[in-house]
Amino acid sequence: MKRSEPMSESYYYILLCLAKGANHGYGIMQMTEKLSGGDVTIGSGTMYGATGNMMKKGWIREIMSDEPGVERRRLYQLTDSGREALRAEIARLRRMLANAEEV
Amino acid sequence: MAGNRKRSWKIYPAWGYEKEIEDLNQASEQGWQLVNGGCFHSSFVKNPNVRYRYQMDYGRIDDMDRYIETFREQGWEHVHSTYNKWHYFRKAYDPALPEEAYEIFTDRESLQEMNNRWARLALIIAVLLAGFAVYYGVRLIQTPQLPLLIHTLAFALESGLLVWGWTIMRSPDPNRSRRCGSAFLTAILAVIVLGAVAGMVLSSLRPHFKTGQGGGALDEPMVDSRWADFEVKYRDNYFLDLDFASDAPMTFSVLDEAGQTVYTQTGTSFREENIRLQLPAGHYCFSISCETGYRINCIIQ
Repeated sequence: MKRSEPMSESYYYILLCLAKGANHGYGIMQMTEKLSGGDVTIGSGTMYGATGNMMKKGWIREIMSDEPGVERRRLYQLTDSGREALRAEIARLRRMLANAEEV
Repeated sequence: MAGNRKRSWKIYPAWGYEKEIEDLNQASEQGWQLVNGGCFHSSFVKNPNVRYRYQMDYGRIDDMDRYIETFREQGWEHVHSTYNKWHYFRKAYDPALPEEAYEIFTDRESLQEMNNRWARLALIIAVLLAGFAVYYGVRLIQTPQLPLLIHTLAFALESGLLVWGWTIMRSPDPNRSRRCGSAFLTAILAVIVLGAVAGMVLSSLRPHFKTGQGGGALDEPMVDSRWADFEVKYRDNYFLDLDFASDAPMTFSVLDEAGQTVYTQTGTSFREENIRLQLPAGHYCFSISCETGYRINCIIQ
């Protein structure tokens, strides 16, 4: 099995924030801050680069919101391969944590 | 509305963009708000009622709408983008917000990516410029002369400057922008520009005398004929390509204003390129002496 590269914190949180459904950049940013207790923030430059790179990798895709009131708003949605990448990263982190507990 | 606008001609290198941001923030505090930024020149409009914090990003943007929206979502207003792909953003300053609220790159990886985007381009250009320096350097060795020396040095300096910028841009040191003084850079750029202009001017002042192939062919005998004139504007090495042939020995000479021979060649056949003549400024002429038919082709440059 090909060992996957560790993900940057920003990539990880963006994927995590999309796990339960599509969201826009600002929503991802807020959710990340909430989840991490303010430890992790995702600035606009980091957000644009990370979402762009992950779209190229095919981990997320861009969709337009059809909710009334916020039509035409850009949302990001996790793809199957994105979900797989997130799962692999979580497994990697679990393994690392388990190793720490063994020592 | 005079006095409401201000221009600044301060030069910022790409690798000093952090210093530029600092200066923009300071200008905003003093009521001068950026309208147009750039590495050579910025313009500001007076508005003491607002205060902004600025950020800069570099790179080709695949999707400008998505880009600007991503920044707008977090309160960043796109001020403008330069032709060379620098993007300026501003956000109204709120003292209640923590400093992180004014960062656009919040992890090391994305900041490094941005720096590397510029660094990669700089390295490509530096290699190209180094190539020009080598090209002129080789020509300089073959035909030592002032314009080629200046071109070689100017290209080497430009390349070196970019390599220096490249190392700073890739340096993880957060205080790296302190290491590139604006005055020093202005001085180097002035030297490069002056060098390029001087090289071109000196190059255009050189004589470019050329006879066409067989252009000097004469069938009748000729004794001590002053054949063609040329002028040397500054002391340097000049290079003569000479090719002649005749039935009986002929003499080809280069004479200065006083009629002194600075170069002479006698024979029935002669061919050589890049004969180096060290000539002070002045008027010169070619002289041919031959008692039979001959042909000649010569170039001085």
